[in-house]
Amino acid sequence: MKKKVLSVLLSTAMIASMLVGCGGGSDTPAAPAADSGASQDTADSGEAAAPAASGDVEEITWMFWDDLNATEDLISIGYRETVERFNKDYEGQYHVNVVTTNLEEYYPKLNALVAAGETPDCFIVSPGPNLDVYVEPGVAADLSSYLKADGWMDTFNGGEGAFSQQTYDGKIYAVPLNIAAACVFYNTEMFANAGITTMPTDWQGMLDACEKLQAAGYTPLTISAGTAWCLSMLAGYLCDSEGVDTAALDAGTASWLDSNVVNATNKLVEISQYFQPTAAGDTNDVATANFYNEEAAMLIQGSWAIAQINGSNPDFESKCGVFAFPGTDGRVIAKSDSLAMSANTSHPDAVIAFMKYFTDDTAQKYTAEVGGKIPVTTVEYDASKAPAQLAYVMDVFGNAKSTFGFYNESLATTEAGSTFDDTMVSIYLGTPVEDGLASLEDWYKNNIWNK
Amino acid sequence: MDKFLRDKKAIILFIAPAFLLFTLVLFIPICQSIYYSFCDYNALTKPVFIGLENYKQLFTIDRTMKIALKNSMFFLIFSVVTQLIAGLILAALLTNIKKGRDFFKNVYYLPCVLSSAALGLLWMFIFTPKLGINQVLAQFGIEGPLWLMDTKGYIILPMWVIASVALWQYVGQSMMLYMAQIAGINSSLYEASYIDGCTRAQAFRYITLPLIRPMVATAMSLNAIGSLKFFDLIFNMTEGGPNHMTDVLATHLYTQGFKFFKYGYASAIGTVLLVLCLLVTFIINKFVKVDNYEM
Repeated sequence: MKKKVLSVLLSTAMIASMLVGCGGGSDTPAAPAADSGASQDTADSGEAAAPAASGDVEEITWMFWDDLNATEDLISIGYRETVERFNKDYEGQYHVNVVTTNLEEYYPKLNALVAAGETPDCFIVSPGPNLDVYVEPGVAADLSSYLKADGWMDTFNGGEGAFSQQTYDGKIYAVPLNIAAACVFYNTEMFANAGITTMPTDWQGMLDACEKLQAAGYTPLTISAGTAWCLSMLAGYLCDSEGVDTAALDAGTASWLDSNVVNATNKLVEISQYFQPTAAGDTNDVATANFYNEEAAMLIQGSWAIAQINGSNPDFESKCGVFAFPGTDGRVIAKSDSLAMSANTSHPDAVIAFMKYFTDDTAQKYTAEVGGKIPVTTVEYDASKAPAQLAYVMDVFGNAKSTFGFYNESLATTEAGSTFDDTMVSIYLGTPVEDGLASLEDWYKNNIWNK
Repeated sequence: MDKFLRDKKAIILFIAPAFLLFTLVLFIPICQSIYYSFCDYNALTKPVFIGLENYKQLFTIDRTMKIALKNSMFFLIFSVVTQLIAGLILAALLTNIKKGRDFFKNVYYLPCVLSSAALGLLWMFIFTPKLGINQVLAQFGIEGPLWLMDTKGYIILPMWVIASVALWQYVGQSMMLYMAQIAGINSSLYEASYIDGCTRAQAFRYITLPLIRPMVATAMSLNAIGSLKFFDLIFNMTEGGPNHMTDVLATHLYTQGFKFFKYGYASAIGTVLLVLCLLVTFIINKFVKVDNYEM
């Protein structure tokens, strides 16, 4: 009898402890994404400053592609400060929880959440096919009415024109936060030591500069083939300089075996002799570090790299020059980070209020003065506070005749872009140009043109 | 026992939890996945039935599928063979040493309990040209290869590297299985064989090997299924690159499903993977003969 009583008591205690363990969440609702494997940044994103969320506070989730606590990237740090500012200003009314992943896993994780019906209230996205994926099935919300309602749109540089990459059938589905231009960053000291006094403006000039740098004992170019889009960015410039028309390729009226694509790819192979020896295995971060650690003279990269370069080695800022990629007839690759809102969010007002914090004067000034990216609004910023490189990038951007997107974000689908990236890496690693392009042509036949 | 077996309610009660769990967690999702494999489905809109189109594309057009199949088969053969041999050797050696047996057992088994994702990243750093082995080799004037990017040969270097890391990680598991089986062999069998003039090698050949054969079949099946489903090390070391050259079926499935939102197509890859797992298990069980001996 004693044993039975004891076992009943123990069982009751066990069940009670289980229930205690399972409960306790009613006052502090967990963000949906926390159950889905993605990590949640809270400590440094305003959570610590904010009080425990009460039942009246509208909780929203923002998904982002960098770890806001660990990052050294100045733009990401700026985003973290924006989140903190929002959570402080809207204390007791709205509260944003940040879900972070690394960049490589961002879209797969976001897609998994979308497929599971747990789309974050707000998420960062690149325009182009990446945004198409969320617009076409109605995952992203139409933001047009919010932008037009209280003059928000008028704060953007160029008004409605600022949203051209985010507009589908006249409706705006994402808000750009900043603009970055892909340029050639160079080490002014190395250039001077190699006797290069004028920046290359055409392809031959670029090869000559590489030759002089190599003769002076420097590695001319650092690039990452381990992170395929970095090499693909260079390939994109080369294709554009040869007059490759991506729209015609997508439509099937041009071929990947056309002479202009072959020429561009041959140029890629030609310049690859000036890459650092470890380019095939280096990641984007390693390739960029090669540049700001002065192990290579040039880096072809988007202007977002300014934040990374200056954040990692502030002393290098004075030695870092920028020029437009040569031979492109004034065309520049441009890219923007954009914010989209879930069409199913229960808190649209909170999300819009949150988005506005990214485009207000404080955030946009930070974008230029600290992050080194081009602001999207008409904000007046102090150019003397901005990184030296931003002025050069603004020159490049200001002198550009037109812009075009990354190839991997401009082709028919995200998979087409990824296939282009992979093909360029494979050619760099030794696949003959004709074979590589034939394989790309086959892929297009099977997946784009005949679909 | 007979009385219990006649009580159908009790039988149903005992079977129900496992049956429900199996049905909900395995059977229904498998059936659903097989259905989706015949559909054009992106998880955001309703699936559209397209018959065998996904399979047709998989086996006739998709170059990555061919690479993934080849790599998965390589992984399967490499893992089954090397883990069988290395696991057996380690088990035989450790069974016969008295001093430090537990220490070495733990050392060899330790990688099994560590996170594959963390190990993948660790090895990725080790094989990164700027950071790891190549820097050590450079100290001796040797230019190391591109361990994770080389694309020469039918089975490319990164696949050998990843397979070797997988062997290092999982050999402890095979070793433990074989050691457990060896520990169950009656020592009098060995004593009798030594009295009859057997050497240690002969005792291993004629007593140990036949008696651990059931465990060999089990370990081989586990290795084979594990190798076919292999994902984490590859994803963390190469992400299937360069240019999909190190993709296996699981990474190809992940890319198609989660990167490109092609859930129907990814389901077709999953179905192929399922069929392969069943086929390999069947072949191993059919051809690895297991005799029951009194131990």
